[in-house]
Amino acid sequence: MTAISESAAFKTDETYTPEGKYQFRNSPEGVRRLPFPFPDDDYMYSMNLEPHVPAGNGALRAAFDIDEHYVSECTHRAQMLSDMPGVHYLALPHMLEAQWDLLELIFESYARDFPEHFTLTKNGNEWRWQNRLLGIDDSFTFGDPSTLPMDPMEYATRQAQGEFVVLEEKDNTLVIGAGMTTQRADYSLKFNLGMSFFEFHGPVPKLHEMGILDRALKFLLRMKPGHPVRRVNWSLTVNPRLETSVETLPEWAPDRATVNGENAGEKVYLRIELQPLHRLPRSNAIVFPVRTYLVSLAELVEYAPDWAKRIHRALASLDPELVDYKGFHRYHEAAVEWLSRHDDGAPLATGYPWAPEGIQPGGN
Amino acid sequence: MLITGIKSRPVYDELTPMASGLIHLAAGQGSGGKALVRLLRAMTPEQLAATTVLYSTESFTGQNYLIDLQQFKVRDLAVFPTNADAVSGLDAYLATAKMGTRLYLTGSEGFIGTSMQVATSYGMNRDEVLREHAGSFVRRVWCAHCGHYSENVTHRIFECPGCELNLIVRDHYSGRLAAFQGVKADSEVPGEMPENEELDT
Repeated sequence: MTAISESAAFKTDETYTPEGKYQFRNSPEGVRRLPFPFPDDDYMYSMNLEPHVPAGNGALRAAFDIDEHYVSECTHRAQMLSDMPGVHYLALPHMLEAQWDLLELIFESYARDFPEHFTLTKNGNEWRWQNRLLGIDDSFTFGDPSTLPMDPMEYATRQAQGEFVVLEEKDNTLVIGAGMTTQRADYSLKFNLGMSFFEFHGPVPKLHEMGILDRALKFLLRMKPGHPVRRVNWSLTVNPRLETSVETLPEWAPDRATVNGENAGEKVYLRIELQPLHRLPRSNAIVFPVRTYLVSLAELVEYAPDWAKRIHRALASLDPELVDYKGFHRYHEAAVEWLSRHDDGAPLATGYPWAPEGIQPGGN
Repeated sequence: MLITGIKSRPVYDELTPMASGLIHLAAGQGSGGKALVRLLRAMTPEQLAATTVLYSTESFTGQNYLIDLQQFKVRDLAVFPTNADAVSGLDAYLATAKMGTRLYLTGSEGFIGTSMQVATSYGMNRDEVLREHAGSFVRRVWCAHCGHYSENVTHRIFECPGCELNLIVRDHYSGRLAAFQGVKADSEVPGEMPENEELDT
C-alpha cells in the first residue's frame, strides 16, 4: 500500500468555502490514514515533540504529506491569495535565503516521497521542476529570484499542502519572518509577523505557566538541519472551511452558533494539525509547517469508530479554559452529546496511532 | 472570546542615562515629560550637552512638562504640537544619527510603539533603546477587518471609525504594527455583545 491508495484518486472538484457550498468529504482510506492527535482519554498540552522519521503507511510516511485533497487545496490557496492580496502571504525583506531553503526542502521531499507525481532535475543551479498533479513544468536558476514568476516561497508553497511559517533565529529566540497561511486558525499573519516565540504564543492559556514554552524554545534552538521533529495539534471547526483567519472572523464565526445535538456530526470538524519542523541549512531559519486535515465527527464514527470514542472522551473532559481558547464553547456540549451516542465506554489503546500499540481507527 | 494576561505587551524600562552613549536622543510625549525631566537631572553636564530632546505637547491626560524641560542645558530641544509630528521629527533625527546614539522613549504606549517602528527601521538594537511608559494605558488598536488604526482606545468595545463594526480589543500586541488587535465583538451572534469594560487605562 502506498501513502495514497490506488482507489483514492485526487479530487479536483472540492471546495472549502460557503460560496462553493463546501463540497468536501474524505474517503474511508483518507480518514484511516490521518495523524489522529489523541493518545489518551484525557487531553492536556504537552510538548509532544518527536523525531520526524517515517512511520506507518499513513500521513507520517513522507516528510511532507499529500493526500486526496492536494489538488483542491492548491486551487483554494490560489483563490484565497487572489481574493485578499497581502493578507495570507507575507515575507520580511531579509528572508530570501530562507525562501530558497524552503523551496528546496519542499521540492526535494515531494520528488523523493512521491516520484510518480513530482520530479526535480538539477544541473548545478539550473533546476527543472515537474509537478504532474498541477500540470507544471518549469525551469529556473536556484538562487536567482528573477527566474521565477514570484517569491520562491510563494512559488513553492502554492504547490504544497498546508501552511508554512518561517522563523528566523535572533537574540536567542525565534521570530516570524515569513508565512504562507491561507488556512490559519484564528490568527493574523500580518499582526503576528515579526513577533518572537513568546509573543506569538501569548494568547495561548497555560503554556507559559506550565513552562512548556521555555522547554520548547530551547529544544528548537538546538535543532540541526537534516533532523526534523514533529508534533500534532488539533482544534474543532464548523464546516470544512480551511480559511478561518482573524481577518475574516465575521464571515465564519456565525457558523459556531448553528451547531446543535442533531447536526453536530455533519457540522463539526476535527481539525488536525501535523507540524513537521525543519532547520533550514543556509539561512539557519526554522520552518514551521502546519499541515491541516479536516474530518467530520460523522466521518470518524463511520470510518474510525475507536477514534470517535476517543475524541468523545477527550472533549468531554477538556479543560474549560482550552474550550474557550479554541473557540468552541458555544457548541462544545452539542458535540459531546452527539459523540456520546457512539461511545460504548470500551477501553481504548494508549498512544498515537503511528506508535507501536497505539490507538488504531477501529472498525472494518 | 476574550483572552487575558498580555504576554505580547512590551515590558517597559525606567529611563536612566546610558553610559555607553556618545549622543543621546530623548523623545517624549505628554506625561512622559516627567520621565524626561528625571532622565536629564541624572545626566552629567557632558551628557546633557550631547542630548537632543524631542517633546510633543499632545496629551491624553493634559500633562505638559515643557517649562521644566526648558530649564536644562541640552544641545537642542525640539517641540511638536502632535505625537505624529514628534515621530516624524524622530525619523528625521535618526536619518542623520551616528554610531553611539542612544534613544530614550517615554509617553503613551502608542507613542512609544510608533517611535519604536522608526527606530527599528534604522536598525537600532533593543540594547540601544530605553522605553518608559507614562500616563494612562490607552491603547492603539488595529482593526483586523479594515486595517484602520485607532488611537487612545479606553474601552474593551468600541466602534471602528474605518468600518463601523463594533470591535473588541484583544489583549494581544504587535510590535511591528505598534498596536493591539481589534476584532468584531459580536461575530458569533450579531447583536450579542460581550460586556464592555474600561481597559487598564
